[in-house]
Amino acid sequence: MNTLLSEKHRTVRRSVRNFCERELRPIAKEIDQEARFPWEIVEKMGNLGFFGVQAPIDLDGAGMDSVGYAVVIEEISRVCASLGLCISVHNSVVIYPLLAFGSEEQKQRWVPPLARGEKIGAFCLTEPNAGSDAAAIEATAVLDGDHYVVNANKVFVTNGGIADICLFFVRTDPKAGRKGVSVIVAERGTPGFVVGDLEDLCGMRANPVSSIRLYDCRLPAENLLGKQGMGLRIGLSGLDAGRIGIAAQAVGIAQAALEEGVRYARQRHQFGVPIGKHQAVQMMIADMATQVDAARLMVYRAALLRDQEKPFSQAAAMAKLYASETSSKVADLSVQIHGGYGYSKSYPIERYYRDARVTRIYEGTSEIHRLVIARGVLGQ
Amino acid sequence: MGLHIIVCIKAVMLEPPKGQLIRSVDSLELNPFDWPALEVALRMKEEHGGTVTAISMGPEDSVFVLYEAMAMGVDRGVLVCDRAFAGSDTLATSTALAAAIKKLSPFDLVLFGTRTADSDTGQVGPQTAVVLDLPMVTGVHSIQWTDSGIQVERYADGFREEFNLSLSAVLTIHPRSVQPRGLGLSGIELAFEEGEVEKWDLAELDLSPDQVGWAGSATRVLSWKRVTRERKCEFISGTANEQVEELVSHLKKSGLIG
Repeated sequence: MNTLLSEKHRTVRRSVRNFCERELRPIAKEIDQEARFPWEIVEKMGNLGFFGVQAPIDLDGAGMDSVGYAVVIEEISRVCASLGLCISVHNSVVIYPLLAFGSEEQKQRWVPPLARGEKIGAFCLTEPNAGSDAAAIEATAVLDGDHYVVNANKVFVTNGGIADICLFFVRTDPKAGRKGVSVIVAERGTPGFVVGDLEDLCGMRANPVSSIRLYDCRLPAENLLGKQGMGLRIGLSGLDAGRIGIAAQAVGIAQAALEEGVRYARQRHQFGVPIGKHQAVQMMIADMATQVDAARLMVYRAALLRDQEKPFSQAAAMAKLYASETSSKVADLSVQIHGGYGYSKSYPIERYYRDARVTRIYEGTSEIHRLVIARGVLGQ
Repeated sequence: MGLHIIVCIKAVMLEPPKGQLIRSVDSLELNPFDWPALEVALRMKEEHGGTVTAISMGPEDSVFVLYEAMAMGVDRGVLVCDRAFAGSDTLATSTALAAAIKKLSPFDLVLFGTRTADSDTGQVGPQTAVVLDLPMVTGVHSIQWTDSGIQVERYADGFREEFNLSLSAVLTIHPRSVQPRGLGLSGIELAFEEGEVEKWDLAELDLSPDQVGWAGSATRVLSWKRVTRERKCEFISGTANEQVEELVSHLKKSGLIG
């Protein structure tokens, strides 16, 4: 696959991989076990441009294309999926909507500190009664003079415990159904902005996923992103871009699981030979390698289409569906190759197995993706 | 005007190949020993102003190391590239690099890594200094500026040595002298999208074919094969006394004790 990437993208891969092996690998297991966000390397990642991969250079981003972005997310996730998730959400569904729908003042105000990694972003859509059905959100924003008074209860917010700049999906018109949803930016520290307890998750444990609530929170009217009623459009376009990030993340986890499986198959001896000499294990390795390769190609294709400004939603949805399902399958097979040791915390594969699972759930479940893809294929 | 520092870098093989030596884009990377040399040059530029030029001799495929150097902050990249260079040993390489360095005059310093991760001779830096007839110190740890040039420090065999050099001079930089900065994504973007590497061939360097490649080389690599180191583990059994006896006799037999 590497030969299909340009020299620039190969350099991105080399340099991100070197950084992650040097700085992230030594702490990846520990931050998972302790469910701790690794602030100690955030500044270094910020200096290298990981927090603003596709933001323009004049807004302190790295100005990269989507293929470069996919490579960055894949490489971070290969070592630590929790950090891959943090950076994917921060870039795809926070910075991108600000760039695409924000006014010049909004971009100048929020994008540079986000792109430098000095502030962390979050996308607050999911509620106790709204997730896949995004139009069912109950959060409200009522205009009062030059402020919106916002009440919201957002759950499962990725980066929730550390986020400074949050995109809130709120209902500005209770009667307008899908067209009554808007996006308002809420900054941590605003009176009424309350971060709930962190979720004790099965995987992605180094990401502080939490609830965030707004209680009669007065947000300036100029914090409205785009126009009133544009919320779902903003959300869906962010999620389109986000699918490439989550798909790349799933490829990174799958690649890590494949590498661990291969390493173990070479090293573990049974019946007098390394287990990789047994056909049963070879069949698994062949399936894993093929599926990882296919998933990676699908992600790069979606990214390439986006870079060429061609329709990419369908390709991104397919890539997200296939890559997330592949990461679960490959991690599962890798656990099988490891036997009992794969079920032990002594080997990293159990972490990849836990981390892979949620990629089929967040930023659109596999089922919602199948609906989206089927609608595209059937022309509905 | 500021300083002009030239750094010579190389694309090296990532892993020793099985059988034939094939250089391809996927098997190459910037010699890890060159990163500290680039870092030293960039820090000097940041402190004193000036420009840093990186030169690499190698096939077209190795041009990316110059873009990586530019991503790090180097101002100008030159690839010394010609079919006639194929088969060059360290002497012929030094001849070609020296010709390129002269063409880049005036300059204050020429920096190299101490050696390359693939061929590991450590000869090209010193030989280039000889061809250029310039003062040279190897394995430099630190550099101080003086009124008449530079004072450098190197460690060798448990001694710290200090040298005064007049400029221009050639230094090879010790790999542990500095921690090189990482490549930032915006640097990569700008280097690859807006940077340009100059390519100089034999004619451009005013060299004749007999000075480089096989013809200009004093040595020939006769063969190239992987060396595998066999490790054997032997268990010694018996009582403690018997085990000691057997161990001592093994060590004697292998000549490790007298």
